[in-house]
Amino acid sequence: MTFLNPLLLLAGLGVALPILAHLLNRHRVKYTPWAAMQFLNRNVRVRSRQLRLRDLLLLCLRCFALLFLIAALARPAWRDGIASWIPGEPRAGFVIGLDASFSMEHGGEDASRFRRALVQVEVISEHIQPGDPVSLILLGGEDEVVIRNMAFDRERFRDILQKAKAAPVGLDLDRVPKRLKELAEDMEAHQKEVYFITDVQSRDWRQSSARFQEALADLRNSAEVFLVPVPGDSANLAVTDLDLISGVLRKGTIARYQATVKNYGTDPVANVEVQCRVEGVQIDSKTIPLVTAGGSETVSLFVPFHNAGPTRITAEITGDLLPTDNVRRVMAVVRDRVSVLCVDGSDGDAGRLIMAALLARGDGAQDEDYVVRSVPWLSLPTQKLDDVDVIVLADVPVVTPEQVEQLSRHVRQGNGLVWFAGENVKASVWNERSASGTNPLLPATLGPPVDTSTTQGAGRPLDPSMPDHSVCHPLRSLPEDLFSETRFLIRMDVTPTPSSFPILSLAGSGAPILLEHSLGRGHVFMFTTSAETSWNNMALTPVFPMLMQQIVTYLAGREFEQPRVVGDSLSLSYVEQPDASDAVFDTPSGETITVPVQKHRNQFVALLENSREAGFYVARVSVQAPGMPVAVNVDHRESDVTSLTASELMTNLEGTDVTVANSEADLAAAIETTRTGRSSWRQFMIAGLVLLLIESLFADRLRKRKRASSKQPAPAHMPEALAGAQDA
Amino acid sequence: MSEQLPQTDYLDPEVLQKLGDLELIAREVVEGLRVGSHRSQLRGFSTEFAHHRQYAPGDALRTIDWRVFGRTDRYYTKLYEAETNFDCHVLLDASSSMNYASGKVSKLEYAKYLAASLAYMVLKQRDSVGLSIFDSEVREYLPPRSTMSIILQIDQLLRDIKPVPRSSIAKQLHDIALLMKRRSFVVVISDLLSDADDILAGLDHLRFDGHNVVVLHTLDPYELEFPFKGAWCFEGLEEEEPLTTQADRIREDYLANFNTWLETLRNGCMASQVDYTTVDTSLPLDKVLSEFFFERQATMNGGRS
Repeated sequence: MTFLNPLLLLAGLGVALPILAHLLNRHRVKYTPWAAMQFLNRNVRVRSRQLRLRDLLLLCLRCFALLFLIAALARPAWRDGIASWIPGEPRAGFVIGLDASFSMEHGGEDASRFRRALVQVEVISEHIQPGDPVSLILLGGEDEVVIRNMAFDRERFRDILQKAKAAPVGLDLDRVPKRLKELAEDMEAHQKEVYFITDVQSRDWRQSSARFQEALADLRNSAEVFLVPVPGDSANLAVTDLDLISGVLRKGTIARYQATVKNYGTDPVANVEVQCRVEGVQIDSKTIPLVTAGGSETVSLFVPFHNAGPTRITAEITGDLLPTDNVRRVMAVVRDRVSVLCVDGSDGDAGRLIMAALLARGDGAQDEDYVVRSVPWLSLPTQKLDDVDVIVLADVPVVTPEQVEQLSRHVRQGNGLVWFAGENVKASVWNERSASGTNPLLPATLGPPVDTSTTQGAGRPLDPSMPDHSVCHPLRSLPEDLFSETRFLIRMDVTPTPSSFPILSLAGSGAPILLEHSLGRGHVFMFTTSAETSWNNMALTPVFPMLMQQIVTYLAGREFEQPRVVGDSLSLSYVEQPDASDAVFDTPSGETITVPVQKHRNQFVALLENSREAGFYVARVSVQAPGMPVAVNVDHRESDVTSLTASELMTNLEGTDVTVANSEADLAAAIETTRTGRSSWRQFMIAGLVLLLIESLFADRLRKRKRASSKQPAPAHMPEALAGAQDA
Repeated sequence: MSEQLPQTDYLDPEVLQKLGDLELIAREVVEGLRVGSHRSQLRGFSTEFAHHRQYAPGDALRTIDWRVFGRTDRYYTKLYEAETNFDCHVLLDASSSMNYASGKVSKLEYAKYLAASLAYMVLKQRDSVGLSIFDSEVREYLPPRSTMSIILQIDQLLRDIKPVPRSSIAKQLHDIALLMKRRSFVVVISDLLSDADDILAGLDHLRFDGHNVVVLHTLDPYELEFPFKGAWCFEGLEEEEPLTTQADRIREDYLANFNTWLETLRNGCMASQVDYTTVDTSLPLDKVLSEFFFERQATMNGGRS
């Protein structure tokens, strides 16, 4: 037998006090001589050495009533088989963890895994008594506690359940036992039951860590644990990527995007149509003839930009059992014009070669929306940089501190800087003025030039394994032999800063050739080599123009163009303090969220933590300001909806003592089997109240009888001497 | 009525007990009372005219003989038999029940102080006082005399007497009545714990013989209030069977019966023209006597001719 509130039992000790007082007082009879004996009522006589049976009975009734009430308040419970003659009810506390990741939406609207999971919750709720504590948590992303320790009410529970739905998030399996345990420990019940209803995705469970196993075993110490799998088949197509491959995002141009479709199922899928929409209007469509099981295929989508401004672009497929991952979104800020200023400090052809790569035309002609200018480095102080999107510094020997400050501000405002090494670069001056401090302009400190040629005197090629950076995308489409034609003879030895990121490296040594870091709202690219042909032949290969144009496109873009994943935070940053103290984010579902602007280092930032929906958010610096869309996509890793088989699941759960219920019947049977406790507090409460009632009726009748027997008729002159009648 | 009396609380019975000497006690009580002003209260009343004397300031106007004034133009007061011949006889109950004491002073001791005080008062008036002590029978009879030595005799008699239970007061009153040769002022000091009719019959006999009777019904405060709580065993002083009971349960009945009996005695005494006073032995003697005299004065002024 156990008690939920054992400390209350201490109150039972208080029952001893009236018993003790009663016993002590009963035996203490005082003696006195008395003269006026004739006036004493001899009918009221007490045996001095014995407790009166009736008073003893009343005392017992009161004591037992009190003990029963105290026991009821202490909430006793029993296990089956122990004192089975004592009545009780099978009560328990319930924690229901429902997998609400987007894989649970697989299967179509009415037959989705989530719908089946809700049915299982209904089955569980049929075994819950009104008043039992219940908690319900939707697992996935940040996890949402829908019900916390509520006294179960069937109607209310049903209403809440009807509003539950899956979210476009993934499931962090390692965290699940801990969340469930927190809820279980939060409730008071003799027996606790934890139900985890999930589609047991292979990708989560096959990779489940030892920590997860330990946490599950630990949860078992607090409660009975039931795993209710709602698996489904693995057939699923998802658009996993949509990337800008080439083109400058300018009005009047066409950009090439590449959509990637992956088949997570076990069967190949033919004729997969990929539609490209711009601002919701379909502008292109491609059909993939076949996507093999487990394979990915890409299609190129060409997007014309007729208007300047932020542009929403999506790639979609249809006819899939899981619609959530059938869309991939990006946002492009189409510019009216792009202006590049090339500051040439070289004595040779570096500046010219860079110009050529930027223009990517044999005649080097420009159009009015894409302006590329070259100026000597000494005239940099006279240049107005406000209208320049990208500044290219080619072999500039030195900069003044004022120029460093000017360039830093330019980049922080969201513009770009590309720096090239060269013979004229004075490393020590650059290091002193621009590569030091907490927020250096350059992503690395400079060292001396280094010979990178091979023993045969040939330059070293680039490492073909490149990071997943948008500037590398066009390079991936180059044939390998073409890619490897680019050779490097000389580079500057650099020490990257902690915030920098290598984009291109030399094969073999891994020495960085191209580094990047962000500064404020802009970015800085740093070539550790020169554009001069004496340092490398980059300018003579297709790599350089593709790279330069991609860099310009990247630098001319804005932070909002980078798509986010559901769960990421969205931020608006300002160089100077904005007029409005709050920024506004409109969610894809139409909700408006206000976020305060806060100062962080040298900038002002408004941060929306945890984007919960997939779609286009709109960020605005104030309620009245025009908005900037931000694309938020689902994490395509969740798209692998393959579930564990039953045997795989049992193997996975070996040693955890978790009960697996594969069907409704299994679940009901498992609950019946494990529900061994009985709570008897109601019975004790009723018994206590009944005893009190009996005691009060009994005492009341006794009092009336005593009054009746002790009353004597008032004597006319003097009361007669009373006979010593014995008490009944 | 008691608010008009002077405060004389210092003659607490327990304090007097410490004095020891009964004559001293009596003197303390009486002197404290300003007896002179009560001189006339212990005189009886009688309708037998004795003789006239010249009116002195302070004499009651009702005693002026107006016929003599009409004849002589002078004021003369009438004197009656009782004012010239005054014997006071104190009847003191010394039975077992009088031994009860809830405090330090028993009813018997208190009665002794009362008897001595009254004797002292009478002797100071140069009248005579006698004493009878009774329990189951008349133990001692001292005929009236006018010397202070009677107080010593009272003290000695009470020391020697061993209280025994009595069965009836009336018989003793009858016996004492037979012993008294002339009409006297009789003071009965007793707890009267016996049959009320029986007692009243005895008092009636005394009244029938022409005596002026005063009853100082002496009772202990516990007998008057019955403050007992819890389980008590009451052991009868007059050899009744003991009773073990829950005192709080019988209190209501006890007080009802007891007060009914008191009322019976009071009414009976009034009907028989016997002066009746309930004496609480926790109260100071002088207060008790003051109240008694005050009431008696009121009775005499408003009463008989």
